[in-house]
Amino acid sequence: MERHFEQQLEKLKTRLIKMCSLVDEQVELAFRSIEEGNVELANLVIERDNKVDKYDIKIDKICQKLLALAQPVAGDLRLIMSALTMNSNLERMGDIAVNVAKKAEYFKEKPEFYSRVNFSELAAAAKDSVHTSIDAFIDFNAELAKKVMKSDTSIDEMTRQRSNLLIAIMKENPDVIEPAIKLYSMMYQIERLGDHSTNIAETVYFIVEAQLIKHRYEEIFFTQEQQEDEDD
Amino acid sequence: MVIKNPKINVSALSLYYDSKQALKNISIDIPSNRVTAFIGPSGCGKSTFLRTLNRMNDLIDGVRITGDVIIDGVNIYEKNLDVVNLRKRVGMVFQKSNLFPKSIYENIVFGSRINGIRDKKKLDEIVERTCNQAAIWEEVKDRLNENALSLSGGQQQRLCIARALAIEPDIILMDEPASALDPISTAKIEELIFDLKKNYTIVIVTHNMQQAARVSDFTAFFYIGELIEYDKTSKIFTKPSIKKTEDYITGRFG
Repeated sequence: MERHFEQQLEKLKTRLIKMCSLVDEQVELAFRSIEEGNVELANLVIERDNKVDKYDIKIDKICQKLLALAQPVAGDLRLIMSALTMNSNLERMGDIAVNVAKKAEYFKEKPEFYSRVNFSELAAAAKDSVHTSIDAFIDFNAELAKKVMKSDTSIDEMTRQRSNLLIAIMKENPDVIEPAIKLYSMMYQIERLGDHSTNIAETVYFIVEAQLIKHRYEEIFFTQEQQEDEDD
Repeated sequence: MVIKNPKINVSALSLYYDSKQALKNISIDIPSNRVTAFIGPSGCGKSTFLRTLNRMNDLIDGVRITGDVIIDGVNIYEKNLDVVNLRKRVGMVFQKSNLFPKSIYENIVFGSRINGIRDKKKLDEIVERTCNQAAIWEEVKDRLNENALSLSGGQQQRLCIARALAIEPDIILMDEPASALDPISTAKIEELIFDLKKNYTIVIVTHNMQQAARVSDFTAFFYIGELIEYDKTSKIFTKPSIKKTEDYITGRFG
């Protein structure tokens, strides 16, 4: 017979997976609303944010109850600690999706420089990072989690290049400062999506490998791998 | 895990009740001035093992023991070892308090009197010192001549600890010392264990895993007579190396 505690833990996992899917979809739709200038879609994203918030509250409550009543240890404790971290990261991702969607109306008419900045490429990389971090959680896959952590550096770099380009564009033509600033701030929001995905990936790694790696995954993994490559 | 200068060094210890083997080839080093907890499901051998550390199993018919238990460099299963002297150095506290139907004072000094201490002043000192160490002095100082059995369960258990301390042991073995107590008395015993480790080596058997997690520095998990895993308590309860340990501490069996 499955114990009550395990049922509650399953419930927590299910809620988290549902929240993951919802946030994944919110991010996807938010980018689409910008690309297509689709205000209706953008409004849908904005409306559905309260669903994300409801999951946030529900998951917090389940975790609080499990911690208080069951005194979990080892793998169970890691899952609950991770659920709390994931929850707040997913909620922030949901907010970013809303912030992006809110710009859909403004960017219905794309400024002339829009294609030069190649915003779509950055959006695709961030979406991929979000999606992969969620897959890593659903499958409890530490390798996939590592992939997300690695990809964050390239998202940061892509953002940096684009922000330099936007600054150059603004210098060239002060008339476009307003749309350029709006795009600039949106880009940094998207860059944050990569950071939240990385946080989720670190959490997945903690669940699976019982090792806390936040703030030092680069040092732990990538120097190690570099060393192995050099040894080969 | 390597324990430097262990207080107790057990190697290849097996124990049989007639033909039934209750402990299988246990080897473990128990550190000095630390609390080591033994956990495991009922019948796993943890209490039996605890009792091998001061030869309490000698009193049970049909018990046969192989292997070594070395305390401070001396094998306690050596033929000519003085068992009474051993039990002076390795005190024990049981699940249920087992006070004598005598006064609080007489309970504490019982061992000292047997050991030939007659000086009233010295005996008084022992009572005050051990009651302070067992965090019960304030509660009993004005009623030392009352019957010890008039104390509450939690007080009786702390008095048992005071009595164990009176003979000045190095090691204190505790077999479920708080399992019959309410949460407040349990908390007092746990605080006491924490304080006592400054001066004593403590080994505790407990069914209460949260208690093991709270009070001990090291934890050993036993299962069907075998020592499955032994490590720092913080490691056992966050990242056990063996699946069986994790299944037990997370309540999936046992």
